[in-house]
Amino acid sequence: MSFIEMKNVCKRYAGAEKNSVTDFNLSIEKGEFIVFVGPSGCGKSTTLRMIAGFEEITSGDLYINGNRMNTVLPRDRGISMVFQNYALYPHMTVEKNISYGLKNMKVPKDEINRKVDWAIDVLGLSEYRYRKPKNLSGGQRQRVALGRAIVKNQELFLMDEPLSNLDAKLRVSMRTEISRLHRELGSTTIYVTHDQVEAMTMADRIVIMKDGIIQQVGKPMDLYEHPANKFVAGFIGSPQMNFYDVNVKGNTVVFSDGSSIDLPDSVMSHLAGKEGEFIIGIRGEDIKVDAQNMELYKKNKMVATVENVEIMGNENNLYFNFANTQTIARVSKYEISKPGDTIEFVFIPSRIHFFDKQTEKSLF
Amino acid sequence: MKRKKQKIFNIALAVIMLIMSLFFLFPVIWMLANSFKPDAAITADMNSAMAFVPPAPGKGFFDNYKAILFDTSFIRYMLNTLFYAAIMIVSGIIVNGLAGYALAKIKFPFRDRWLAVIMMLMVIPAETIITINFMFVSKMGLLNTVFGYVLPMIVNPFNIFLFRQVFVSLPDDVWEAAQLDHCNPVKYFFTMVLPMSKTVVATVSVFTFLNVWNDYLWPSLVFTSSNLLTAQIGLNSITSNDNTTMGQTLAVITLITIPVIIIYSLFSKQIVEGVISTGSKEG
Repeated sequence: MSFIEMKNVCKRYAGAEKNSVTDFNLSIEKGEFIVFVGPSGCGKSTTLRMIAGFEEITSGDLYINGNRMNTVLPRDRGISMVFQNYALYPHMTVEKNISYGLKNMKVPKDEINRKVDWAIDVLGLSEYRYRKPKNLSGGQRQRVALGRAIVKNQELFLMDEPLSNLDAKLRVSMRTEISRLHRELGSTTIYVTHDQVEAMTMADRIVIMKDGIIQQVGKPMDLYEHPANKFVAGFIGSPQMNFYDVNVKGNTVVFSDGSSIDLPDSVMSHLAGKEGEFIIGIRGEDIKVDAQNMELYKKNKMVATVENVEIMGNENNLYFNFANTQTIARVSKYEISKPGDTIEFVFIPSRIHFFDKQTEKSLF
Repeated sequence: MKRKKQKIFNIALAVIMLIMSLFFLFPVIWMLANSFKPDAAITADMNSAMAFVPPAPGKGFFDNYKAILFDTSFIRYMLNTLFYAAIMIVSGIIVNGLAGYALAKIKFPFRDRWLAVIMMLMVIPAETIITINFMFVSKMGLLNTVFGYVLPMIVNPFNIFLFRQVFVSLPDDVWEAAQLDHCNPVKYFFTMVLPMSKTVVATVSVFTFLNVWNDYLWPSLVFTSSNLLTAQIGLNSITSNDNTTMGQTLAVITLITIPVIIIYSLFSKQIVEGVISTGSKEG
């Protein structure tokens, strides 16, 4: 049995017409860094709170370390948690916030002091040791919350959108800090976020959810390269994947505006001869405007008028309308265009994703 | 130009408020000034501005106060009242605080209706149930006991409401974090909830103290033994004595007013914050 096993876990709130979480099945190995990601209301925080014991499990089973935990009190589950709003004790100093749990657990005083010193040192909180939370910045508060979690030596860390209240720069540094702590402590971590960048950069495996149902579980690059459905394809990656309704006849893909491209057999063989209506998806970086690719895929050249250009510094995002769909192409910073310019572009055929029109499931 | 107008307005407002405050201070100054005088001097100064001027410090300056403090049981009455107030504050915070916490954070059947009932109780004057309380205490044989005095006064719907209004805005995740820190609900209440709600604890403490300090009717019914009397009953007993002079009467009234003034001066900010926060933090 894995360190954490969730079997057919469901959650339905009293009076609700449908489940908030449905048939959640997941096995987590010891030491893994798992990220639950999805849009607001997808059930990721509810699932985390069921693991923590703050929400009752309506049906299904939760096992931690081989023990069924459905009815076990939160404090007896062997977990530490970092909350979205830090949940620090406002009337206690940094030191007391960190040591409070250890005191309640009747840990000897010497050991408390040693652990608190270690946590304060590891998290760079030495100069704030005797400050109260109101006198700390958001990043410092978050580090205190982390300190409170790590001193207890619990086997499982739960983190509920811990960086969502921080500014972009601080978020990046805290991301690194949490990853470093995870590597050093080797503890199993379940991390909830709605930010797919956090998920991609921190996770060993990502669990992507929508409407309380797991859409896909996998390593970050697996999700990026081989999304299970259109939702995953659209959620992972920034800017999000471009989708088009198409009609396939033989090797020809016809777009809704009548323009068409011919794809090689190596791509079309995945459809196993199926024809008709599909959805295709292509990531911004797989739309090319440079001369080399134009030459390579000259048969499939398409034309559009640039509507907007986002200069990112290291690259440019070109916005244009193609086949009645707003399209974003990520191009090199040397490909300079301005709104109103007419550009030629091609899709890299091997990078096109096909989705079933009805089920929206990926076809390969 | 606008700033100048604002400045003039502020000065005018300050002058008006100063004049108005003199009206309120007028009896207090009169009381304080005459509490240091013998009766003859009080009568002589009655119709002049000297009625508002204390005598020059010298021999006999504190005679009225000495007489009250050393020749009567007033110190005992004051200490009694402080003791009752301390018991009422501690027990009131625990009982009303726990009730407020339950109404704010614990889900139980008809919780909102219970709150409505408690709010309705706020409009019932204490005097209307005093007979019932008296009969209850009397039948339990608790007349002339501290317990009999304190017991019916501990539960206060207004204080429950104040606590509830503040506790409802406390973040739930602090309780969740405390659970993971192996904190039980009772410990959480005393080590987290009350310290996080210092303002309302201070407000309730001040209100409770003032209630006990100023209460006349209930202690006059419960206590007959002079050893247990409160300051207000003591005041009545001292001033109704034919041997007490007018100066001594004013001295004892001054003494009984001092704690109230001190408490208001020290805690006026908390009282205002406490009452305001209970109205604005509904969540």
